[in-house]
Amino acid sequence: MKKYQLGEFEEVVMLTVGILYNEAYGVSIKKDIETRLKRSVSVGALQTALRRLEDKGYLKSFEGEATEERAGRPKKYFQITALGKKAMEYTKSTRDELWNAIPKMALQVKIV
Amino acid sequence: MKHNSQHPPKFFLKFFRWFCHPKLQKYIEGDLMELYDERLRQKGKRKADLKFVIDVLLLFRPSIIKPAEGYHHLNEYGMLKNYFKISIRTIWKHKVFSFINIFGLAVAMSICMLIILMLADQHRYDQFHGKRDRIYRILTKIPKSLKPNASSPFPLASAMKSDYSIVEDATHLVPGVGGDAVYEQRSAEMRGFFADQSFFNVFSFELEKGNKDKALTSPNAMIISTEIAHILFKDEEPIGKTVEFTNRGLSHLVKDGESTPTYWGTYTITGVIDHQKQKSHIKFGVLISASTITSLHADEKIRDMSDNWSEYSNCYTYVLLHPENTPEDLTRALGEIVAHKYTNAAELKGLKLIGQPLPAITPGIFVGNPISFSLPIEVYYFLSFLAFAIMLSAGVNYTNLSTARALTRAKEIGVRKVTGAKRKDLIYQFLSESILIAFLAMILAMILLQFMKPAFRGLWVNQYLNFELPENISVYFYFVLFTLLVGLLAGIYPAFRLSKLQPILAIQKKESSFSKKLGMQKFLSVSQFIISLFFITTSILIYNQFKHHLSIDYGFNAKPIVNIKLQGNDYTKVSNELSKLPGVISISASDYLPATGTQNGTALKIVGSEKDYLSLTVLVTDEKFADNFALKIVAGKNLPAFNQAADRFILVNESAVNKFGYQHPSEIVGQLMEQYNTGETFEVIGVIKDFRFRMPSEQEAIAPLMIYDRPASLRYANVKIAAANRSQTLAKIEDTWKRIDPVHLLDCQFYDEQLAETNQGLVDIVSIIGCFAFLAILIACLGLLGMATYTTERRIKEIGIRKVMGAENRAIIWLLSKGFLKMLALSIIVGAPVSYFVNNFWLQYFPNRVDFGIGTVLFGIFILMFLGLITIGSQTWRASKGNPADTLRME
Repeated sequence: MKKYQLGEFEEVVMLTVGILYNEAYGVSIKKDIETRLKRSVSVGALQTALRRLEDKGYLKSFEGEATEERAGRPKKYFQITALGKKAMEYTKSTRDELWNAIPKMALQVKIV
Repeated sequence: MKHNSQHPPKFFLKFFRWFCHPKLQKYIEGDLMELYDERLRQKGKRKADLKFVIDVLLLFRPSIIKPAEGYHHLNEYGMLKNYFKISIRTIWKHKVFSFINIFGLAVAMSICMLIILMLADQHRYDQFHGKRDRIYRILTKIPKSLKPNASSPFPLASAMKSDYSIVEDATHLVPGVGGDAVYEQRSAEMRGFFADQSFFNVFSFELEKGNKDKALTSPNAMIISTEIAHILFKDEEPIGKTVEFTNRGLSHLVKDGESTPTYWGTYTITGVIDHQKQKSHIKFGVLISASTITSLHADEKIRDMSDNWSEYSNCYTYVLLHPENTPEDLTRALGEIVAHKYTNAAELKGLKLIGQPLPAITPGIFVGNPISFSLPIEVYYFLSFLAFAIMLSAGVNYTNLSTARALTRAKEIGVRKVTGAKRKDLIYQFLSESILIAFLAMILAMILLQFMKPAFRGLWVNQYLNFELPENISVYFYFVLFTLLVGLLAGIYPAFRLSKLQPILAIQKKESSFSKKLGMQKFLSVSQFIISLFFITTSILIYNQFKHHLSIDYGFNAKPIVNIKLQGNDYTKVSNELSKLPGVISISASDYLPATGTQNGTALKIVGSEKDYLSLTVLVTDEKFADNFALKIVAGKNLPAFNQAADRFILVNESAVNKFGYQHPSEIVGQLMEQYNTGETFEVIGVIKDFRFRMPSEQEAIAPLMIYDRPASLRYANVKIAAANRSQTLAKIEDTWKRIDPVHLLDCQFYDEQLAETNQGLVDIVSIIGCFAFLAILIACLGLLGMATYTTERRIKEIGIRKVMGAENRAIIWLLSKGFLKMLALSIIVGAPVSYFVNNFWLQYFPNRVDFGIGTVLFGIFILMFLGLITIGSQTWRASKGNPADTLRME
């Protein structure tokens, strides 16, 4: 039974929002993922993910200031909610559990 | 602003603003702008623009796009959705009613759709001509005739071209080309026209093979259709090949009608045309270049008509106007020509030339001497009228049933009104329901249409009309439009009626006055039955008329006769060969077959008499004809065997004897007659008993007739064969024919079948009217069924109580049926006289009419009563049988 649903890209976005802490909005998240993970992220994909996470209640948002280079449009900042934190922890712990369950032999195959 | 001049692509920004969810728009737009700004500084405008476009396109995904239901107008979309849902539920809940409605509408709609298809089929004609808006056909109208002729005088085209600057070009098609072309032992029968090179300038016909700029310029050039090219040349290249052409005077229209074969010389194939790809009202198997005409009439093979203004039936003229000229200019020019050419011609006084625009030709008005057969627009009006009557009937069913069910839906309406629905909203709801039903009916109708199309194409007339009835997008568009209209019109009355209901009355379930009396519904039902009765009587009548035609006594014995088309072969040779066969009793010959539609005319007067010429039908036969057909000679002798001395003898019929003013047939024998125009003198050698040589549908069944012998004109061999082993005899005839004429295939038919075939048009009318009658009664009965079902359902408790109190089944059936029986009786009282008089009215125009007595009407009434009673009975019977315990417990 799935308790918390978090896709791979969603997890990346959640983590990045965490890293950026109070500075997480569309463009900064996009750039951070692009620089850290060396993968290109389209605005569409990112916005979709953000929307879904917000609908699930893992992220919350507040309106920020409007700047000149944004042609007077406000920023939308994101923060991780308590539920979001639980979801991230759940994902991490399930991963760890799975990692621990792998017999050592299985990973040594590569070396042989 | 720093970057005032540097905007992202405006179109994509607008597009983004249009599709984006309003809640997200400003944030995402902010992000996009920020990125754009940065990229602009780092990578330049082009890259930034490109990335912007890609970003916008990638944003076009479900979670970003605003919901289809709308964001601000959520309510209306929601309501529509609700209407739809409620409609589906209502349809589902009242299955019987929905079925009656949908089925009735579908049946009627399929008829209307068939007519839409027919019209669409006709509108595909002549669409490919690039200059079609400027092309006019010139019609000739003489005051004597009601309808204009499609043909016009021969010199008209050249006169228009040379004398009038409004005409850019003009062409004409001259019929009279009809015969056989032979290429290396292969022969093909072809019919067509002479045409000049302007043909390809006026029209946009494309040639499958050959160069259309030169195809008709030189004499003895010939364009043939792909079918004929295939027969003659199989897989060889036809262009440049020469064929030998023998003209047999085959008409471009009719299947028969031919004259003495004349060899017209050799022709070079310059083009092949595919009619399948270019649907036009001009159909031909062959076109011969008009420059050939000169040499042909120099050899006296055809008449010279180049300055013949008085004959207007042997040429079809088409003119192309300059773009800046109007039809009024053309009318004026034609008026001038008429004033110039026809002022002195007494017999053509009042002749008019009329320009008919090309798009108005198919479907177009009824014209005489047409270039090809097509259904005149008047027939469409008539068919549309019938279809409209059926459609109205089905629409009335819907209206009736929905209005009658007001009571059932009263609670729903009341609750809706109380919770704040305005009248407008309720009207919308009922309309959406009727439109939904109409669309369901449309789906069913399209299925029905698939069955009707082949039936329609199989009608006898279709071999002349060539309906294909293809379906395409634009036809479907009309179907949908038509369906919407049907839904709206059928639903509008119940919608207004039901939405008017007072909520308080509705909820209290008090019956408002209209749902009790159902006055309107009764009126509409009665009219449906009147229409049905009319259709039933009419179809029975036409069927009787058809039977009557078949049983007509022609006065000669057609049964054992097989007619063989001579197709240019010498009759004596054919007769000699065939008479050797066992099973062949006797053989005679004629120039056409009496009573199959063809007849030639002449006029005679008694030599030395002051009286006017008497017009007669003339038939050419050999001397054996009378015996072969068992025609009795009442006075004088039969025609003698043909020789030079005998060619002045003629036979006349009894009717001619009377018309010439003789009391007794023997008085006319030996009398000399003078022929009109030629002045030839004949001697009456005998009088033949009257027989029918005209079709049963023609006025004046028996008229004066003269028979004489001209071996050169004989076209048919009439072979009388023994009743035993007919098929064997036919096989032998075919073998013999192959020896006599290896080129043409044997063309033979039984005479009685040919005579029956002349009535095929009537069979078509029977099938069409019969089909309409069937549909009319079907729909009327469906309506009745709906009403009966509803009434019995509503009174089910009353019936239960009555039964408990001791009412008998019979009494209950009577109680329930009474109202409907009154309606049926009323429609018979009104409908029977109406159908009697209207049918009698048109029957007057039928010669040889069957007598239309009360019997036919009674039979119609019987059918109507029978079906009506079954319909009502099925419901009332069921209700009366019901167990009162069940019906009364239900609460």
